[in-house]
Amino acid sequence: MKPMRNPRRFEPLDPASLHPPGCRLAGLLIGLLALFSSGAAAAAAHPVPYVPGSPDVVLERVPSIADPRVRMFGSLRERLDVDPHNMDLAVHLANAYIDYGRSTGDARYIGRGMAVVGPWLQGNPVPIPVLLVRATVLQNRHFFRQSRSQLTALLERSPRNLQAWLTLATVEMVQADYAAANGACVRVAQIGGDFMGMLCTAQLRSQTGNARQAYALLRLIEDPGPNAPPAIKGYVEGLLADTAARLGRNAAADRHFRAALQWTPGDNFMLADYADFLLDRHEPGAARRLLAGYEASDTSLLRIVLAECALHDARAGQDAAEMQARFVAMARRGSLLYEREYAEFALYVQHDPQRALRLAERNWTAQRSPSDMRVFLEAALAAHEPHAAQPVLTVLARSHLQDPEIARLAAEALAALGGPREVSARSGASS
Amino acid sequence: MKALRWYLTALLLGLALNSPLASAHKESDAFLTLRTDRADLHTLEGQWDIALRDLDFTLGIDSNHDGQITWGEVQAHRRAIEDYALARLAIKGDGLTCAMRPTAQEIDDHTDGSYDVIAFRATCDKDIPATLTVVYRLFDDVDPYHRGIVTIRANGITTGAVLGPEDPVTTLDLRKPNRWQEFRSFVTDGVWHIWTGIDHLLFLMSLLLPAVMMRRRTDDPSVDPSWRPAGGRALLAGVGDAGGTWVALPTMARYEWVPVANGWRAFVDVVKVISGFTLSHSVTLTLATLGIVNLPSRLVESGIAISVIVAAANNLYPVVTQRLWLIAFAFGFVHGLGFASALYGLQLPPLSMAASLGGFNVGVELGQESIVLLVMPLAFLLRRTRLYRDGALMWGSVIIIALATGWLIQRAFDVLIPGFSAILPT
Repeated sequence: MKPMRNPRRFEPLDPASLHPPGCRLAGLLIGLLALFSSGAAAAAAHPVPYVPGSPDVVLERVPSIADPRVRMFGSLRERLDVDPHNMDLAVHLANAYIDYGRSTGDARYIGRGMAVVGPWLQGNPVPIPVLLVRATVLQNRHFFRQSRSQLTALLERSPRNLQAWLTLATVEMVQADYAAANGACVRVAQIGGDFMGMLCTAQLRSQTGNARQAYALLRLIEDPGPNAPPAIKGYVEGLLADTAARLGRNAAADRHFRAALQWTPGDNFMLADYADFLLDRHEPGAARRLLAGYEASDTSLLRIVLAECALHDARAGQDAAEMQARFVAMARRGSLLYEREYAEFALYVQHDPQRALRLAERNWTAQRSPSDMRVFLEAALAAHEPHAAQPVLTVLARSHLQDPEIARLAAEALAALGGPREVSARSGASS
Repeated sequence: MKALRWYLTALLLGLALNSPLASAHKESDAFLTLRTDRADLHTLEGQWDIALRDLDFTLGIDSNHDGQITWGEVQAHRRAIEDYALARLAIKGDGLTCAMRPTAQEIDDHTDGSYDVIAFRATCDKDIPATLTVVYRLFDDVDPYHRGIVTIRANGITTGAVLGPEDPVTTLDLRKPNRWQEFRSFVTDGVWHIWTGIDHLLFLMSLLLPAVMMRRRTDDPSVDPSWRPAGGRALLAGVGDAGGTWVALPTMARYEWVPVANGWRAFVDVVKVISGFTLSHSVTLTLATLGIVNLPSRLVESGIAISVIVAAANNLYPVVTQRLWLIAFAFGFVHGLGFASALYGLQLPPLSMAASLGGFNVGVELGQESIVLLVMPLAFLLRRTRLYRDGALMWGSVIIIALATGWLIQRAFDVLIPGFSAILPT
């Protein structure tokens, strides 16, 4: 029951039910913007150049050498400049860039990582570590199918490559090919040992109807000892939080989210995940506070707009316009990396279910995680095209995903289709 | 587990076990806008917005490494930014490279941060062309996902493209093919090319100035009984002799200048010289522009200088006396190759190519004829004066030889004669 993100009933048609009061202001503004969308696009694309008033004006914040990761880039870069044919060094630097790009959410570092190994991509055959970098970059840019074919080819040449199996498991999960993901997790366990195997399989089981099992597995490895780096601890806590939320154990989920953010403060993905959780729990104020200071991040700004809508915050209109401008700018470059977020924006803020549905359908060709299922179902229902969500229902029938919200939406879609009232997604708490 | 093992595990997890990417910022973009300038049809106004974060990554704008880029730091790197960026961009009008010059530095706020603005002017060889080609290589070595978003506003048309390392070139049609306009634009080019090409002009002048005179052989007593032996007199000693200036070479026939009686004879000579020149230079201009003939420009330019020397020297030491148009015709081939340098790299569809080449040729002709119409009537009127005969024809030829010799030395040996270019830049 989330009046803002998830109108409970779509029948009978009541436009007001689709327009949560908090977003009317934003909806109106966005509507106006859409009317003059070409003008808005032009404004976003062509701001007016100016000369800053003083040399001391700060124009941009960039990674500072106070950050140990940035110092590491610097020293690796210097070593590579001296020894430009050292592939190990290049792969090391590329992975460092990609890791940094992922945790800060600065997508530029993904491309910078790719460029570092560029010279070795011309080789025939391409060295295994370089292939892995490329597969990782493809995965990060949501080219999952290409990433999968690269990984498959790589594993034929190097069947015991742990990182390749792990990456493949993730790609299969995002693509909702759970059988293939399970196969990859088995290989991870064989090659990488218990810890890696449990992590991999727990993540899979959390999405495939075995959330309680997954939670228990994750609790076993929740404390991997004092030597484990914070990133690992944060990662396990994040998985615990997601799984607890699926099981309806909200207090535990909240605790795990906060623990995760203690291990990896400011992690862009974790912030978005936690904010989604808070919004679902009708705690927009907490979500807004959580994301204060992270407005520069696109994914954070989207959640900020959603929270402000729910809070009737006066800033909602302005922030929604800013979000719209960013989407326009992203669309202009021709590679929209996150269509799911765009679909969510179209559905929850712009109240344009038809457009949201088209975006969700396109997003579905790239990724099929629970969040993707949810916006697809909601858009299809809001657009009165429940049949459009059939691909989601098919996957749910296979996966038995536990998720109270998705279960309810799927049941609604099935009812609207007049089909057998078989609830594909089960309510988590009852499993 | 051991610390190293954990470190590797963390790296693996960070890279592999990813929940769907949640990007804080879109990938790297830069925005390039080109506008035509109504006042100057050869010029495009450019604006290039490049993210400060990208420039910092490649050039290190944050000099004091405090994680903050100030306007002062951006200003301090202005030259470095302009040199870096403009070296990675080429703008071509109909295949001809336009020269770019930065004009200002500003700041733009885009949705994902502040951008440095390079304002620049791109000056193309000809009027705003039918097709504009943009070759974009910014950051192609540091980020394969960088995109250059190009917008062109010209002749009331707005068009654009998204360029990147994998797809760095775009050719944009600025207008529907308008052959007449194309033709006219190249006519203008041709006219300017001849008017500003002083070496071509001097070559023609050397051949045309004598057209209002005729040469009478002075070593044939039956023609002129007042012939006197040269007796080793120096060339210039003859200048100013009463009864006609003559030129002496011990072993050669001697001539003197006699003004033509009527204009018809002069007119026919002018037409012959111009036609011969046109015929041959049209041939080589076409062949060179189509890429069929390709000679090094050093050779061509030196050849043109030699042609000027020969034409002017012929006025002093006559070798060819009657058929001056032969000189025009013979050296016209070299001059045609020189004209082609203005069209070097021109790439157009066949019909546009024909219109452009034809237009340029017509322009060159019009340029020549206008000068002929300006100079020849005056020459005809003045032909009986000593000023014309001695001043213009004799001393003029001497000066032309001196200039052309200077060019020849500069062009053939690729040296700069101090002060020479100041007298007469080519």
